Parts: sequence; C-alpha cells; structure tokens
Amino acid sequence: MSTDARFAPGDWYAVVGDHVTVVLPGSQRDRVAALWDLADAGATADAVLDALLAGGLSTLDHVALVAHGDDSTRLIVRGAPTATVATTEGEEIVSASAGAAWAERLVTGVTSVRVTLAGDGDVEHALTAGIARVSVVEFGTPPAAPAAPAEEPAAPVMAVEPDPEPEPEPEPEPEPTPESVPEAPMSFGEPEDDPTPTGETPVVEAPGADDWPDRDGNTVAGPPARDFDRPPIPGQEMAPEVVSDPVASLVFSTGDVVLVDRAVLVGRAPEARRFASHDQPHVVTVSSPQQEISSTHLEIRPGAGADHGSAIATDLGSTNGTVLAQPGLDPEELKAGIAVSLIPGAVLDLGDGVTIQVTNP
Amino acid sequence: MKNVDLHHGAASDVGLVRKVNEDSFLVAPPVFVVADGMGGHSGGDVASQMVVEEFQRLAESYDPTRGAEQVADTFARAQARIIDFGNAHRAMTPGWHAGTTAVVAVLVDDNGVAKWLLANLGDSRIYRITDGSLEQISVDHSVVQELIDSGEITAEEAATHPERHVITRALGSPEGIHPDFFLLPLGSVERLLLCSDGVTGMIEDKEIEEILETVADPRDAADRLVRAAVAAGGRDNATAVVVDVVGLVKDASYDSQRQLESLESKLGGRL
Repeated sequence: MSTDARFAPGDWYAVVGDHVTVVLPGSQRDRVAALWDLADAGATADAVLDALLAGGLSTLDHVALVAHGDDSTRLIVRGAPTATVATTEGEEIVSASAGAAWAERLVTGVTSVRVTLAGDGDVEHALTAGIARVSVVEFGTPPAAPAAPAEEPAAPVMAVEPDPEPEPEPEPEPEPTPESVPEAPMSFGEPEDDPTPTGETPVVEAPGADDWPDRDGNTVAGPPARDFDRPPIPGQEMAPEVVSDPVASLVFSTGDVVLVDRAVLVGRAPEARRFASHDQPHVVTVSSPQQEISSTHLEIRPGAGADHGSAIATDLGSTNGTVLAQPGLDPEELKAGIAVSLIPGAVLDLGDGVTIQVTNP
Repeated sequence: MKNVDLHHGAASDVGLVRKVNEDSFLVAPPVFVVADGMGGHSGGDVASQMVVEEFQRLAESYDPTRGAEQVADTFARAQARIIDFGNAHRAMTPGWHAGTTAVVAVLVDDNGVAKWLLANLGDSRIYRITDGSLEQISVDHSVVQELIDSGEITAEEAATHPERHVITRALGSPEGIHPDFFLLPLGSVERLLLCSDGVTGMIEDKEIEEILETVADPRDAADRLVRAAVAAGGRDNATAVVVDVVGLVKDASYDSQRQLESLESKLGGRL
C-alpha cells in the first residue's frame, strides 16, 4: 500500500511518523508531544505503543494506531475511533467491541485505511510527517477517490500549537458505534497515478507557462541565459574572445614570449575570472620581490572596433600603476580601466624591473 | 605538477522544511563538486546526482594539464544526461522538468604550476579565504545578480527580492549551458568553500567567514556551516564542501603522513 495520506481537519491529533501514525483526542496533548519525538525518530510500532501505554491504559480512552510494515499494515483501535480497511480481498470495519481493551488487526494486501474519529469530512489535505489536527485520516489510495492533487496542501505542523481554549472532550461514549461509520465508497483497482510520489508539496504549474517554469517552490530557473556577459571595461567595446591570428607578440623581460590571440593577464599572482571554457586567458606570472606589481596587474587583449587588429592594454587598477612608452611618444601612465591601443615597439613597465615589449607576431 | 596536500570536509543536510535532499556533492581530490537540484518529483535529486556521477568519472581519469577542457566536457555530458532524463519523463508527464546548479573546483596544471580552476552554473557559490577574509569568487547566475550588476537593486535588497531564487543558467536548461570559469593561483586560496544556497540563503557572509576562520579542521568547518544553516531555519537543503591547501609537498607519502597526524590529533593519541 502506498503510505500517502490525507486528512480532514478536526479536533483530534494525528502524530505522523515515517512508519507509525497515532491518532489521539484533543485532550491528550501531553502524550502527543512525547509521541512526536518518537515517531519523528522513526520509532517502530512497538516502541510507540510502549510510550502510549506508559501513562496507563485507564487514561487512554481513545486511540488509533496505524503502522505500515513492508507487506502488512497493523491497526490498533480503542474507544471511539473506527477504521475501515480495504484490501484486495474486500473491506473490513475495525472497532473495539464493548468490554474489550482494544481491537487489533494485522492485515496484508491493504490498499487503503480510513480512520474516522468524528464526522465524515472530505480528506482533501495531504498528511505529511508531523502533527495535524484531524477528524478523518486516510492512507493509501481508495480507487474511487478523485485523482486530482489536493488543491491546498497543508504544510506539516511541526510543533504542537497551544490551544487558546480548553479542548472539548471527545464524545463520552466508550461504546463503539460501528453502525455510524459512514460507508466510504470503495472499489479496487490500479493505484491512482500519484502526482507527488516523493510526498512533497505538489507544484501547481500555471497552464501555458513557459517551457522552464517554477518548480520546487524555491530555487527556480529563470529566463534563457544570455550570451556570455563579461562586464565590459568602461569605454571599451566588447572584444572578440579569441582571434585566430594573434595581433601581437609580447616579449617579457623575464624571457617569456606570449602571443596575443586572446586576453593575457599579467601579475604577481594573476587571477582570471568569468571566462568560458573556449576563451581561457593566458595567465603570465612575473616575480616581484619588492611587491611593486599587483597580483592581477595588467590585461592585454585583441582590440575590437577601431582597435581591430591591434593589441590593447588595460591597467586593472594596480597599486603602483603601469607606464607605457610608445615609439616616438613620451612615456605615459595608464589610467586604471582605460584601454590603450598598442603599436609595435611599445614597451610596458610594470615595476620591479619587469617590462613587456610589444612586437609583431 | 607537484603533489598538492589537500585536506577537505563535506556536510549536507535536508533542512527542516524539505522532504528530499536534492543537493549532491563530490569529494574526489583533486575534484570537488556541489550541485543543487531543482524540479521536485524526484527530478532535482536525480539531476544533481547525475552531475556528481559525471565528475566522479572525470576524477577517475583526470588529466590536470587539460583541466578546463575536461571540466567543460564533463558539464556537457551531464547536460546531455539530464536533458535525456527530462525528455523521457516529459513523454509521460508534460511540463516535467529537472535541472541543477553546479559549482566545481579542480586543481589544474598550468605550465607546471598547480592552480585552482573553478566553475559555476547557477546560484550555488564558491568562496575563498584569502589574507584572513572571505571573498565570493563565483558570480551568481540569477535575476537578482543581474539587477545588482545593472545597479537597479543593492545586495541587501537582493536578499528579500521576490525573484531571489530565480536563476538564469543551470544544467538541464534547454537553452544550453554556459559555465563561468575562474583560474586562481594556489597561493591566493587559503581555504575554499563550495556551497548550495541553502547555506548562503540562511546565514550571513559574516557568519560564514567567522566559521571558516575559526574552525581549523575542514570537516568540522563544513559541519558547522551546515548546522548553522539548519539552526537558522533550514528552509532549503544545505551542503558545504571545505578544502584546505595545506602546502606544496614533494611526494605523496607526506600527504598520507599528514592525514594520519591529523586523525591522531582528533582521536587524541597515536594510532
């Protein structure tokens, strides 16, 4: 039997654990709190029964216990509650007869169990692990039930709420009244297609929602991803990420030679951020004993637009700056974040004796 | 590439509200992954598990000199599996979806130098501790991050924005995947944190920094982060992977010796 459960609201407490569900009258709040600890910890039916009876049988006028085993379902009913058990064999109503301590059944092949405590409300709320105030509890899938998911799934009540007013005692009629059990419409067949097999809150999807809508209620995927969106450097057009023909060759004073066919990052311990797998920048580490060079100091990349075909250099906000000497011009300090087009023969000075000469590739 | 001594810890918790833990993680040095599945109906947990399985396969035949290429290929394989999985379910249940975020950290060999290659899809995050302070490395692929980038809202407003859980890139997206990559020198990362938004959505960066700064053992640090997220309300699955680079070492025996000493110090005596 599927252990999916539903309930109709009421005054009784249902303590729902993974294996065991106990239903108690509203007056049994003390027991409810203790049982929840057990049930939540995955206790077995015997352990829960132990705790139920710890306070003595005389104070326990009414109780229903439903335990789901691997292939059987165990039912204990005392006092007012009645249980309607549907199996592949047929249907049985379980209730404690007058004078008996309780009625107990171990049933196999159960398709559904309906425990009626008061009235005959519609079991339209999903019953999940936790504590709920109920009048009717139903487990499994009565085939006649509508397949539509609960419209208003109830969140599990995780704590016992204080009662604003004294609980009405359950009807003081220890005599079981099986005749009053409403005839639940029952038939047998394939289990319904359960919309929420994991037992979580069903997602209500708006009809006609787009192809990538809300899902588990929290993290959701949004609109289509844009193209790779590197934050542009102010004043600079978006550069092509990788060019097939290098636009320049960089000759480092350290002896390194690096072709500019993509971004080149230079620094004492350079970091490359937010690149795609196909445009991984060249990262050139230069030593700086005096710490004059910043960790990610300078970027050189192929230019775009008016700078197409040449390399452009951008100081990335380095602490001590970068000096650029273009052929025939006075050396100038690069302004952080402002790209400058490099011509062959230009020399970039990063400090600590590290220079980069720009040559044709 | 010399052997790098990594100490690591991981923790994951379903939280107090969800019934299913849709987060998955992988600790297979030098490959580390956290994935936060979306979809419900047992879709999200399968999607995040698929990512972890593909990276597990990567870890078994990993070539650090081809790190970025191999990570990108692994993403592509995971994407293909999740799309197939989704198509198969959609044939039965129209409107069914599964997707997952992923944050990945691998060591790569960059011309003989070991570096961290990090990758991100979605709103799981990568942080590092450097010079004693916490820094977020990954940039969320989310609607609110785009609003922050364009100056429309502040980071504080983002925490309560109604669309704060809407992500713009994910594995399983029919639009294809565009992971961001990051390459960091080993020395710039004293400690690395990969985590799902069940951690960052529940506790402030300041608390994350405090835990990462004060809890020496990465296993304890990961545990503390997840427990703090649950204690703060546990509204989502919370997962944390913490990795320490202990030092550059010459041979593998040193690593095992360090692990043994660490274990001994935890157990309070010689083994």
